[in-house]
Amino acid sequence: MSGDKLIHVTDVEFESQVLKADKPVLVDFWASWCGPCLAIAPAIEELAGEYDGKVVVAKMDVDKSPATPGRYGIRAIPTLILFKDGQVVEQITGAVGKAVIESAINKALS
Amino acid sequence: MDEKIEKVIPSYDVIILGTGPAGLQAAIHAARKKARVLVLGRPESSSLYKAHIENYCCVPGVKTGEELLLTGMQQAEYFGAELLKEDVVATAALQDEAYQVTTESGKTYSAYTLIISTGVTRKGLGLKGEKDLVGRGVSYCVDCDANFYRDAVVAVAGDGSAAAHGAVTLSKIAKEVTLIITKDLKVNPALKAELEKGNVIMAAGSKVKELRGTDKLDAVILSDGTELALDGLFIEKGAKGAMQLAAFLGVSLDPGKFTYIVTDRKQATNIPGVYAAGDICGPPFQMAKAVGEGCVAGLSAGGFALKKRRKETQTG
Ligand SMILES: Cc1cc2nc3c(=O)[nH]c(=O)nc-3n(C[C@H](O)[C@H](O)[C@H](O)COP(=O)(O)OP(=O)(O)OC[C@H]3O[C@@H](n4cnc5c(N)ncnc54)[C@H](O)[C@@H]3O)c2cc1C
Repeated sequence: MSGDKLIHVTDVEFESQVLKADKPVLVDFWASWCGPCLAIAPAIEELAGEYDGKVVVAKMDVDKSPATPGRYGIRAIPTLILFKDGQVVEQITGAVGKAVIESAINKALS
Repeated sequence: MDEKIEKVIPSYDVIILGTGPAGLQAAIHAARKKARVLVLGRPESSSLYKAHIENYCCVPGVKTGEELLLTGMQQAEYFGAELLKEDVVATAALQDEAYQVTTESGKTYSAYTLIISTGVTRKGLGLKGEKDLVGRGVSYCVDCDANFYRDAVVAVAGDGSAAAHGAVTLSKIAKEVTLIITKDLKVNPALKAELEKGNVIMAAGSKVKELRGTDKLDAVILSDGTELALDGLFIEKGAKGAMQLAAFLGVSLDPGKFTYIVTDRKQATNIPGVYAAGDICGPPFQMAKAVGEGCVAGLSAGGFALKKRRKETQTG
């Protein structure tokens, strides 16, 4: 199951699991009341499986972890941020197709 | 989505979201099967309302959409469907695969099945810089993003229930809320009263003409030249669409653009008991297709609901 590869992070683990990760990390900032976030959720799960070993795919519930979205100036969800060596390398706001997310990841990997 | 509400005995078999040709045809077919049907939405907001139709089989000459919709509504009522001119602002899954909808006046209705036939509305205003400011002060979803605007100065642009309902939601979170209305506000009096209670400022007869700000939204310029300094602008045209009403229930949308609801040949979505028909299922945007899908959805949902109700009355 590709779903197993997905990790969930909170404000507390953000530093260790995302910023200090040895691989690029795609973080999906989402919330349970957000329809568009639920719409893209299956694509995010698939990506977690497909990029297993190359990119860590993480979800952060902004309702439970408000500090990190605040730190990155997030004012709309879903927002996807790709972090590499602790830096923001790609940022996508709104529900976009899987292909758009893939091309952002591939750009950052190349 | 996970927090299912307590068990309710649904008062309807089928609730149809949308009073366009898809929803009305669904109502006709479901009601003729003796399902208890409630149709919600505004015929004046249907894409068909202002259209002139001459390519619909077996109807001669040119007919106005208004005339066709009126006939459709009469037919649906004749077969026993109830029609209520209110938009749906929220959907929820109840226990045992039943559903609840909340209308703009705050009333709730429940059913064994839902048919989503809300048509399509373009979401943006098409303004210069709009796309770049999404997430930086511009938002298309109050439900999703309101919490990011605590104690902020915000505006909502739109003439329908989505904008008005959004302004009410924001009035409980933001410091100041302005509702920018092009012409008339097409909402239920109860929702209008909520706007007053929430001290929402009304900017009637105005359009957003320009967005100011590069890294983030600073202000908007209205058609009468007024400049409104804003932290956030929410664009909510028409009524709530598939994202908030369908995706919220876990219904799959097309994986490319997340605009259309994915259905099978029975017009069933991936969520048992939730069906969709018409423009919301994607092109071609034609009345004949909407009516065809509506017929199938009405039969499928009606059949599913009646079976479920029979089973529940036998066991319960
Ligand atoms: C100018 C114009 C010309 C056209 N000409 C033709 C033509 O010549 N031939 C042809 O076949 N087709 C034509 N069409 C297309 C045709 O009108 C549509 O394909 C058809 O109306 C789609 O039907 P529908 O029921 O899916 O959606 P709609 O007719 O758009 O109806 C949607 C309904 O859903 C309701 N709704 C939306 N949101 C909510 C909510 N949150 N809660 C409750 N209700 C909601 C709306 O109020 C409305 O009642 C034309 C369209 C336009 C705009």
